[in-house]
Amino acid sequence: MKELYLIVGFAQIVFVIFMQWQIYLKKIILTFALSSIIIAAFLFLDGIMLNSTNLLILGTLTITIRGFFIPRYMLKMLNLAYKEREPRHIVPPAASIIISLFLVVLAYIVYHFTLYNITYIKAGSIPIALILQGMFLIISRNNAFIQLTGYMVMENSLFLFAGYLFPELPLIIEGGILLDLVGVVMISSIVIRLREDAISAITEQFEKFKG
Amino acid sequence: MIYYILPILFPFAASIVCLAKNYSLSESASLIASVLSITASLYILFLKPSYINFLYIDGFSKIMLVIISAIYLTTVLFSSAYLKHIKNPIISKSSYFLFLNLFVFSMLFSVSLNNLGLMWVGIEATTITSALLVAIDNDKTSLESSWRYIIIVSTGLVISLVGIMLIYASMHTLKITELLINKPSHPKLLVMGAVLAIVGFSTKAGIFPMHTWLPDVHGHAIAPVSAIFSSILLPTALFGVYRIIETASFDSVRIFALLLGVLTVVFASIFLISQKFYKRMFAYSSMENMGMILIGLAIDNKFAFLGAVILLVSHAFAKSSAFYTTGNILSIYKTRDINNVKGIIKTLPFGAYSFLLSAMAVAGAPPFGTFLGELFIIYALYLKFGIVSAIAVLIFLSISFFSLNHKVAKICFSITPEKQVQKKDEVISSLIPIINTVLAFLVIFFVGFINNILTSGMLK
Repeated sequence: MKELYLIVGFAQIVFVIFMQWQIYLKKIILTFALSSIIIAAFLFLDGIMLNSTNLLILGTLTITIRGFFIPRYMLKMLNLAYKEREPRHIVPPAASIIISLFLVVLAYIVYHFTLYNITYIKAGSIPIALILQGMFLIISRNNAFIQLTGYMVMENSLFLFAGYLFPELPLIIEGGILLDLVGVVMISSIVIRLREDAISAITEQFEKFKG
Repeated sequence: MIYYILPILFPFAASIVCLAKNYSLSESASLIASVLSITASLYILFLKPSYINFLYIDGFSKIMLVIISAIYLTTVLFSSAYLKHIKNPIISKSSYFLFLNLFVFSMLFSVSLNNLGLMWVGIEATTITSALLVAIDNDKTSLESSWRYIIIVSTGLVISLVGIMLIYASMHTLKITELLINKPSHPKLLVMGAVLAIVGFSTKAGIFPMHTWLPDVHGHAIAPVSAIFSSILLPTALFGVYRIIETASFDSVRIFALLLGVLTVVFASIFLISQKFYKRMFAYSSMENMGMILIGLAIDNKFAFLGAVILLVSHAFAKSSAFYTTGNILSIYKTRDINNVKGIIKTLPFGAYSFLLSAMAVAGAPPFGTFLGELFIIYALYLKFGIVSAIAVLIFLSISFFSLNHKVAKICFSITPEKQVQKKDEVISSLIPIINTVLAFLVIFFVGFINNILTSGMLK
C-alpha cells in the first residue's frame, strides 16, 4: 500500500500543477474529478486490504460525491453562468509552476523538521504539499470557481492523508466533512454566479476601505 | 438527556416549517422557536452538566446556549421589523428565516458536542448556512463580501481540520471527555495539532492576521446579520479555540493563543482610528473584543476565564444593540459614511441614546459588564506577565475606546442640516437595541452566578 500511496500522492501533485497552468475551467474541474476518483479507488483498495468497512464506505462516498456529483454540479453551473476560460492569471502560468514546485520542496523541508520525527513516514510531506498548492491555487487565480477548486484540492489531500494514516477515524466525522463540502460547493456556486457578473465594479468600491 | 437537546431542536423544527415558503408562517415559527429555545437554555442552566455520548455540556456550553438563544430571539424580532427595507433580496424572506434558523441550529449544535471532529463539522456548517444571509441585500459589495467570507473561512477551517487530525494522531480519540483525561502518546504532535486548530478556528473568530473577511462582511451584511455574526458567531468560533486550549493545555499552546489575542487587540485598535464607515468601525471593535476574550481564555487563571466569559456575554448584548441601531440609521440616512450621518439625536432620539450607550459598552466603559470582564482579564495578565504587559494592552484598549466613542458621539450630537431627514423612530426596531443595551449592563449583577455555573461540574 505504501508504494500505491506514493504513486497516488505523486499523481495528485501533478494534477494540481496541471491545474495551475490551465486556463479552461472545464478542464480544471474534470482534473479535480479525476483526482477524486483516484483517491476514492485508493481508499477502496486500502479498505479491502485492511478489511475496513469504514474505508469502503468512505471510498464509495468519495467517488459519488467528489468524483461525480460535485464536478457535475459545477459544470452545470458553469454552463449556465459564464465564459469557460480564465485567460488572465494573477500569477503567470510559468511562475505558478515554479512556485508549485517550490511549495513541494518547502512541504518536504517543513515535514522533515517537524512531523517526520514523530510519524517516521517518508511520504508524509505529500498532503502538506497538496494543502499548500491548494492554497496557492486560491491565491493565484481570480476566478471564483478555480478558487473553490483550490479549496477542494485542500480537502482532497486531507482525505488521502486521513484515509492512509488514520483509517480508524470515525466515519461520522468524515461523512460530516463530506456533507459540509457539498454545502460549501452548492452555496458557493450560487454566490459565484451572481458575483462574477459584477466583479469589475466591486473592486473600485472596496478600494476606499482602509484596514 | 432530552432537555439538553431541546434548545438545538427548536430552531431545526422552525427551519422545517420555513420550507413551506410562507413568510408569515416562517416568521411566526422562528419567533416561537426562539422563545422556546431561550426558555430551554435558561432551564438547562439549573441542570447538572451533561457528558453523555455525543453531548458535552459544561458551564461554558450552558452560557453559550443562553447567549445564542437570546440573540436568536432579538434577531428574529428585529429582522421582522427590518426586512421591509430590503427591496431586492437574493433569497425570499421566508428563506431568510430558514437560513437564520439553520445558522442558529449549527451554532447551538457546535457548542454542545463531545467531539472535536463533529464540532468542526458544526462550525463549518455555520459558514454554509450564513453565506446567503450575508449576501441577502443582493448588491455587488454584499456578494463579494459573501464570497470572501466563504473562501477565507473555509480555507482557515481546513487548517483546523489538519490540526484536529494531528490531535487524533496523538490522542487516538476526538472525544472531549477522553481528551481531557488521557495522556498524549506524542505531546509534540498534540501541540502542533492544537496550534493549527487554533489558527483555523481563529480565522472564523476574526482574529488577526486571519481577520480579513470580517470587516467586509460586518460592513456590508444587513444589520440583523451583522449583529448575529458579531455577537454569537465569533464567540462560537472562540468557543472552538477554548476547547482546543482546554484539551491541549500546554504553556506553548496558551502562549500562542495569547499572542494572537494581543496582536488582534493592537491591530484592531490601530485600524479603528482611520475608519470612515460606522458598520466597519464596529467590525474592528468586534475584533478588539474577540482579541481580549482570546487573551482571557489563553491565560490559565480563574479571573481571566471568568473575565473572558463576562466580556463575551456583555459584548453579545451590547454589540448586537449597536448593529441593530446601525440598521435603523442606514434605513433613514441610506449611507454608511460617518461624515454623512449627523445629529441622529434629533432623527432617532431613542436610537441615539441606545447607540451611544451600546458603543460605550462595547468599548468597555463602566458600569457595563464589558468593563468588568476586561478588568478581570487585565488583572490576570498583570498577575501572569507583570505590569508592563497589562499597561501595554490598556493603552491599546484606550485608543480603541476613544476612537469608537469619538466617532459615535459625532454621529449622535453633530449639528443636523435643516430638512436633512425626518424623525423616524420605529417602536420594535428602536426598542430591541435598548433592551440589549440594558442587558449588557445587567450582566454585572450575575457575575457570581456565572462563576458558579462555570466552576460547577468542570472535568478538569
